[in-house]
Amino acid sequence: MIEITDLKTTFSTGLFKKHTINAVDGVSLHIKKGETLGLVGESGCGKTTLGKTILRLVEPSAGTICFDNQDITRLSMREMRKIRPRMQMIFQDPDSSLNPRMTVAESIAEPLRLAGTKKQEIPKRVEELLTLVGLSLEHLDRHPYELSGGQNQRVVLARVLALEPDFIIADEPTSALDVSVQAQILKLIRDLKDELGLTCLFISHDLMVVRHMSDSIAVMGQGKIVEIGTPDEIFESPSHPYTKDLVSFAKNAVLPYKKESK
Amino acid sequence: MSKKNLAMRVSIAIFAIYLLIALFAPLLTPYDPFIIAGGIYEEPSPEHLLGTNDLAQDIFSQLIYGTRATLLLGFTGAILSVSIGTAIGIVSGYYGGRVDEFITRTLDIVMTIPTFPLLLVMMMFFTPGIYVTGILMGLLGSARGVRVIRSQVLSIAQMNFITGVKVMGASDLYVMAKHVLPNLLSLVTVQFVFSAQHFMVMGIGLGFLGLGDSNVIDWGQMIDRAYQNGGVINGLWWWLIPPGMAVTFLSLSLALFGYSMEDEINPRMKLTRI
Amino acid sequence: MDIIRIKNLNAGFPTKRGLVRAATSVDLTIREGECLGLIGESGCGKTVLGMTIMRLLQPNTIISGEIFYKGQNLLALKEEEMRKLRGKELGMILQNSTTSLNPVLSVGDQIAEGIILHEGLRKKEAREKATELLEKVQIKNAAVMSKRYPHEFSGGMRERAMIAIALACSPSFVIADEPTTGLDNRTMKGVISLLAEVAKSKSMLFITHDLAAAFEICDTIAVMYAGEIVEWGDVDEVFSAPLHPYTSGLLNSLPERGFIAIPGSSPSLIDLPGGCRFKERCACSEERCARAHPLMKEISSSHKVRCHRYD
Repeated sequence: MIEITDLKTTFSTGLFKKHTINAVDGVSLHIKKGETLGLVGESGCGKTTLGKTILRLVEPSAGTICFDNQDITRLSMREMRKIRPRMQMIFQDPDSSLNPRMTVAESIAEPLRLAGTKKQEIPKRVEELLTLVGLSLEHLDRHPYELSGGQNQRVVLARVLALEPDFIIADEPTSALDVSVQAQILKLIRDLKDELGLTCLFISHDLMVVRHMSDSIAVMGQGKIVEIGTPDEIFESPSHPYTKDLVSFAKNAVLPYKKESK
Repeated sequence: MSKKNLAMRVSIAIFAIYLLIALFAPLLTPYDPFIIAGGIYEEPSPEHLLGTNDLAQDIFSQLIYGTRATLLLGFTGAILSVSIGTAIGIVSGYYGGRVDEFITRTLDIVMTIPTFPLLLVMMMFFTPGIYVTGILMGLLGSARGVRVIRSQVLSIAQMNFITGVKVMGASDLYVMAKHVLPNLLSLVTVQFVFSAQHFMVMGIGLGFLGLGDSNVIDWGQMIDRAYQNGGVINGLWWWLIPPGMAVTFLSLSLALFGYSMEDEINPRMKLTRI
Repeated sequence: MDIIRIKNLNAGFPTKRGLVRAATSVDLTIREGECLGLIGESGCGKTVLGMTIMRLLQPNTIISGEIFYKGQNLLALKEEEMRKLRGKELGMILQNSTTSLNPVLSVGDQIAEGIILHEGLRKKEAREKATELLEKVQIKNAAVMSKRYPHEFSGGMRERAMIAIALACSPSFVIADEPTTGLDNRTMKGVISLLAEVAKSKSMLFITHDLAAAFEICDTIAVMYAGEIVEWGDVDEVFSAPLHPYTSGLLNSLPERGFIAIPGSSPSLIDLPGGCRFKERCACSEERCARAHPLMKEISSSHKVRCHRYD
């Protein structure tokens, strides 16, 4: 479904002495339909920029992006807008992902309106989506600041799913959430993925989370992909030194008590 | 009731009085302000609450009518300058990059031009009527507000929900109108109030300098006439002081309103969690 | 010696929608030199508890109960007396280092502020002390960094700066409020080991939702849910043999246990249910859980729980 070849995104600052940063430095990836690719790396490695470049929120400097066998690298913004509903993104910070002035009902109705859903059908669809993400009717007239981070993230999911996308990029969706809420949201994303057959790029700095959510994992460092493999391969037999570093780190951060006692 | 709340209510009450006076002026005045209503330089009496001026016009009636000119100038100027300023600020902050740089640099140049003297010059050469004066003020004064709007837009544009709506396929115009602008409302309101106050006082100033529309009564002109006719020397306090006080209180009420709205300016984008 | 003793603390905020009961009948004790971890999800009231000890809540908060610091009831003190204690005896590392530092003051000056206030040192000496503190919190090139501004510090470094500010006047008791939120794993590790060092020489209240961090630093754990303490005990005991279903649920949410989620969400603090507050989400709730509100029961000298299963 997604095929990226030798993608590069560079940022340059300064008027005279151009200082360039290769945020994405020649990345090639392939995500099959229905598959989840986990993208892991520390902050600053370029994974968020990669996600944004794939959606053309940031313009690539070189390389190609193919979505469902269509080259979207150089499409005009107009053309892009037609395809956009099919490729969506959820972000890390649930508080800033929603317009603070809009109620939950309005936030979920908006993508439906943008997609051209008939006015009479919107309330019904909003309710369906609400139930799908595990919220209830009482939340409809609430504002983001009245809800918890986890609940806001559910609203974000409802918005994104309203467009019935084929591909979702999840950029650190649970990093700002508590341990218990994180477990809930991850379960929700997994269930929705399976139920709706979504293709997903799951970005995180947390290897444990990525392992739990992905079919295959790509490790990114300083703009480049250093290793790709199945979760077990990456965890049990990492080859690249950077990967080894990440893995040993994740293993050490684990609580020693593994048995559940009642 | 907290101080801010009290300030807001008082200022709105005072302003409401002025507004009502302006709207119902013909019903409130005993005489038409332009006609000869009695003898000249008459002192205050039951027939002429504030006496008469050098042309035997009733000063009280003039005072009442003067409200209209002031409010009109203030609002016309404010509406125009805030609309233009906000639009430019949104475009500049939202698009960023070269568009932003271009607008900011242009603004830097434009802002070096002193608006008031320019306005004076234009008034002297073209002697426009009151509506055109208001428009001129609005156009010349739009640059001021752009900076503040722009910086607020810059921080809003960073927010994930803006990116989210763009990802959903919304056009830039849609995002600016439906998402950026509503989050600027409190800022725009405060700007409007302060601009209105600024232009009202400016209008009085113009009248005082003799550049006001002579077909319209305004307080500035009244004060000017009072001076010209030896108001201070001859102790014609009933002519000199009331217009001055009228503009002072109006100005104070607007400033008070702006002050009480200060807390509303900071949009509560992030709330700390318990 | 008990350095902090909280007796029957209740705290509530009146809001448009009703009274937010952030703390209900909280009883906690922290011995001198002990580090107590207060864990629970966002919105359970743990930050409020920290702020109540420091008396930094909004003026319209309704508080009842007693908080004893070295035998003195903090809630009965006048504001000026409280101010003398804040910073000097009671230190707090605030949540969210991004917004808790003044962007227009240099980091060194912000650390020095407290020193100047409480110890009356002059600016120059206070600044030198500030640089020393930055070294203690393991910031390299402390002398240079002391003059820099918060936005020039990375997230981890800002957190360390906050710790330096809290420790500036050598308080006996420190409250650390979610010091690891928003940091990536590697930085988090550094901050945690720094806090572990601090915990050795001070009494600490460590507020967090990060169980692994609490395990590493704390001697005792108190689990908070919907404004109440539902379990309290020695850290090893609570983590290896949790008594309250919520605690087990939290532990199961961890990556190592497979991210098993607790269904449902915590009740609103305005609309608290009768009986046990956890019953809606509890796998083993019975009839009596809806009828009666469970009381805190002492299972052993180092383990207490609030659950009907142990009645």
